Amino acid sequence: MKPINLSTRSLSALALLVAGALIAAQALYIPAKAQVAQVLMSSAWERQLSSGDLARPWPWADFTPTARLSFPAQHQTVLALTDAAGESLAFGPTLMAASVEPGARGVAVFAAHRDTHFAFLKSVKPGDPVTVETANGARTFTVTHAEVVRWDQSGIVPNDNGPPRIALVTCWPLEAKTPGPMRYVVWAELSRLKAT
Amino acid sequence: MEQMSTLTRNGLRTRPALAGALLAATCLSPSALAQDGPRRDGTVSKSEVASGSLLLQASTPGRYVEAPLVAADVKMNIAGPVIRTTLTQRFTNPTDKWVEGVYAFPLPEDAAVDTLKIVIGDRFIEGDIKERQEARIIYEQAAANGQRAGLVEEERPNLFTTSLANIGPGETVAIQIEYQDKARLDNGVWSTRFPLVIAPRYSPKPTFGLTADRTNRSIAVNDPVPDRGRITPPVLHPAHEPSGPEGLRLPVNFDISLEAGVPIADISSQSHGLVVTKADADSATVTLKDGDVPADRDFILSWKAEPAKAPTASLFREERNGEDYLLAVVNPPAIKVQGQRRDRETIFVIDNSGSMSGESMDQAKQGLLLALDRLAPTDEFNVIRFDDTMDMLFTTAVSANEQNLARARRFVSSLEANGGTEMLPALRAALIDNDKSNTEEVRQVVFITDGSIGNEDELFSAITGSLGRSRLFTVGIGSAPNAYFMTRAARQGRGTFTYMDDVTKVTEQSAKLFAALENPVMTDLAVKLPAGAADAYPSPLPDLYSGEPVTLVLRAADLKGDLTLSGRLNGSTWTQTFSIADAASTKGVAQLWGRAKIAGFEESRYSGMSLEDVDKGVLTTALDFHLVSRLTSLVAVDKTPARPAGEALDTRQIASMLPKGWDFGAVFGPQAEARALRFDRLPDTVMQKINARATQEMPAPEQDLALPGTASMWELSLAFGLGLIAFGAALLRRGRVLISPRGLAAASVGPMRTTSVDRSKR
Repeated sequence: MKPINLSTRSLSALALLVAGALIAAQALYIPAKAQVAQVLMSSAWERQLSSGDLARPWPWADFTPTARLSFPAQHQTVLALTDAAGESLAFGPTLMAASVEPGARGVAVFAAHRDTHFAFLKSVKPGDPVTVETANGARTFTVTHAEVVRWDQSGIVPNDNGPPRIALVTCWPLEAKTPGPMRYVVWAELSRLKAT
Repeated sequence: MEQMSTLTRNGLRTRPALAGALLAATCLSPSALAQDGPRRDGTVSKSEVASGSLLLQASTPGRYVEAPLVAADVKMNIAGPVIRTTLTQRFTNPTDKWVEGVYAFPLPEDAAVDTLKIVIGDRFIEGDIKERQEARIIYEQAAANGQRAGLVEEERPNLFTTSLANIGPGETVAIQIEYQDKARLDNGVWSTRFPLVIAPRYSPKPTFGLTADRTNRSIAVNDPVPDRGRITPPVLHPAHEPSGPEGLRLPVNFDISLEAGVPIADISSQSHGLVVTKADADSATVTLKDGDVPADRDFILSWKAEPAKAPTASLFREERNGEDYLLAVVNPPAIKVQGQRRDRETIFVIDNSGSMSGESMDQAKQGLLLALDRLAPTDEFNVIRFDDTMDMLFTTAVSANEQNLARARRFVSSLEANGGTEMLPALRAALIDNDKSNTEEVRQVVFITDGSIGNEDELFSAITGSLGRSRLFTVGIGSAPNAYFMTRAARQGRGTFTYMDDVTKVTEQSAKLFAALENPVMTDLAVKLPAGAADAYPSPLPDLYSGEPVTLVLRAADLKGDLTLSGRLNGSTWTQTFSIADAASTKGVAQLWGRAKIAGFEESRYSGMSLEDVDKGVLTTALDFHLVSRLTSLVAVDKTPARPAGEALDTRQIASMLPKGWDFGAVFGPQAEARALRFDRLPDTVMQKINARATQEMPAPEQDLALPGTASMWELSLAFGLGLIAFGAALLRRGRVLISPRGLAAASVGPMRTTSVDRSKR
């Protein structure tokens, strides 16, 4: 067996391989974490619904599941979390702390990453139903429209005391790979009870 | 396994620790962006905000409208007891759009509104009296056509709405309303009251009843206040009201000319500072010391004649369409306590709802404590308090001994103002009489409230229905009590109405109530003309309490000869005769008669007249006398369109002020207050906008929710990582001769391990 001649070039090649592998692993870890977290949370959610007490998905989590969003037309269901200063976005759509409870007068704002939990948002169309299930029961909203806004000029005033609405927020453009100032907002209004 | 769990733990808890410099360079965190964003001062204004306007929450969520500003000029001509008032409301539109201003405002409860004019430059467009529906249709059509139009509608006898359509961008349009009123005489003091603010009224919730017959079942909704929306204008939180002379949102100005007809001893106002200029002994002009005042409390003007010169009777007449009308204000002989005092059963009812919060509650409590002091041990009494709940101190009236009185004083002192105003149950409870046939004893119900309710009708029905031998004395508290409710409730309850609206004068003001409660009352009052019975209002004439004058208006075909008044006092008959020839001729007496007749019709619905007959009577009289009523409105339309076709017309409701001394939170609840105050962080900005009418300011950014960064960029990092691997692999492939495949495998495994160990050490 020949001795390994570690030239400068092969050393740097190794370093590149190592770094690349680490970064790739780190990258793959994000969607994996997003998926795993949803699984862990769904059991916390069930506990929470049955016991009525807030249940953390894992003991050190600083958020709890707060609502289940279902998009029947897209065959998607995702658990949303309480807002924990940006941390929670990695694990699911986040009900922003400044917004109202879903179903209350005003706007409940859910934000999620465009490349994980809200990747399907591009296929949500006006008229599509969105069911929001909270500890207080399930409410169905109907998508009214979508718009693209700047992050700091969102036009969303959560406590405006208007009819109950939800706003689903993710990054825009949906296909872009780099962050930008624009956000995509899908609006849905609480469906009126059908006259009986 | 141990390492994995550590990794998971770290990773889940914080942001990926491995991100490192490479990732950080491409990932802009939202917080970094936030610092670079525009300054967020939390302003609520929308981009279309212009200066000189006030923001009101609109019905469209998240939108705010600028309300027109309304300035009012009140010109009063007082001739003896006859008052002619011209109220000019100037609507200023601060926006760049065509708007319709809708302004709900109060007037005295027996104001006979007979004239409406739109003032455009130096042109006047005179309004016409029409049936309410018809007037509305005319107005709406004109508004849609772009014509300037004005409409005055009555919501309650003391609450009106003006609508003014097609006020152009930046324009000021005025409307003028004229009404006839009469001064009030109390214990020798004349006074008139101009209400400036509609106190927010409590409207009990509708009730739902299930009605069923053989075929179907349905839910019937019984709303005690079917027009709740029209009598509850928005109210601006006092924190948002601009202050200072420049910034008044609803400034009011008074210009009063007073011709008393007799030498005046004193002119004063308990509500506002006055500047009085005497023209001669009998007349004066009056303005306000402060010039423009805010519309947050009633204006009260009082005057007194020289004691020696005060006449016992004032008679005024007017001829209209061949008929004679007469107004008589007669001071009866002083009613003195004759014979022994009669025992009484007094039921005190005190309102401790949220609208009474603050000064009002203190006045009410003080007044009631004074009243308790005046009870004799042989009297009986009870105390009832109500908000949206109700408590009776004793299950039934008890004797006014020291022990019971002490308990009552403790109960009253501990009252706190809070909650809604469900007045009906308290009123009913107070009118329950367990000793109906006892005519030896006087039964009196003293009702202390601000009357801030919207279900007047329900209450009037209850009073007429179950009065029996009880007499109802209403005591109006606060800076803007609902005088219409108070006076009519007292009239139907055959008692009297007392204002108690000055916290510093509770003793003085309650003295009048005690005089009424404790002195004998003149009953069976009647008026006679030589030609026979007169068509006189109010009908029947009310009982007279101590210090009260007889005030009546009558109509006759040919008025001459003597007028005879008679009444019964303590078993003896009193009569007095006046010569009609002494009556001074004054304009407006006929309008007062018309208004009194309408009030008479409205009242008779509680005493059994059919609704159709009431409506017919009201409508005919109102059209005859050109008066605004429940069924008639004044409408004025300018023929020339003002608004160009194609421009839209927005409706703007003008918010009321909160009456002085009121607590917003106690009236509307803490949630509503929080909502109203949410924008309080920046009153300065808003106020500056109002006051700096001319300056051009850039609109402040709206209070939008800042959205977080929502790109995790894992795809990008993955591509980057894979790229590095590919590049490293390419480098290695070039130097393949130097390295065995096994070595490569070992090499690629080794560093991974190292990294894991490295992580676990962190």
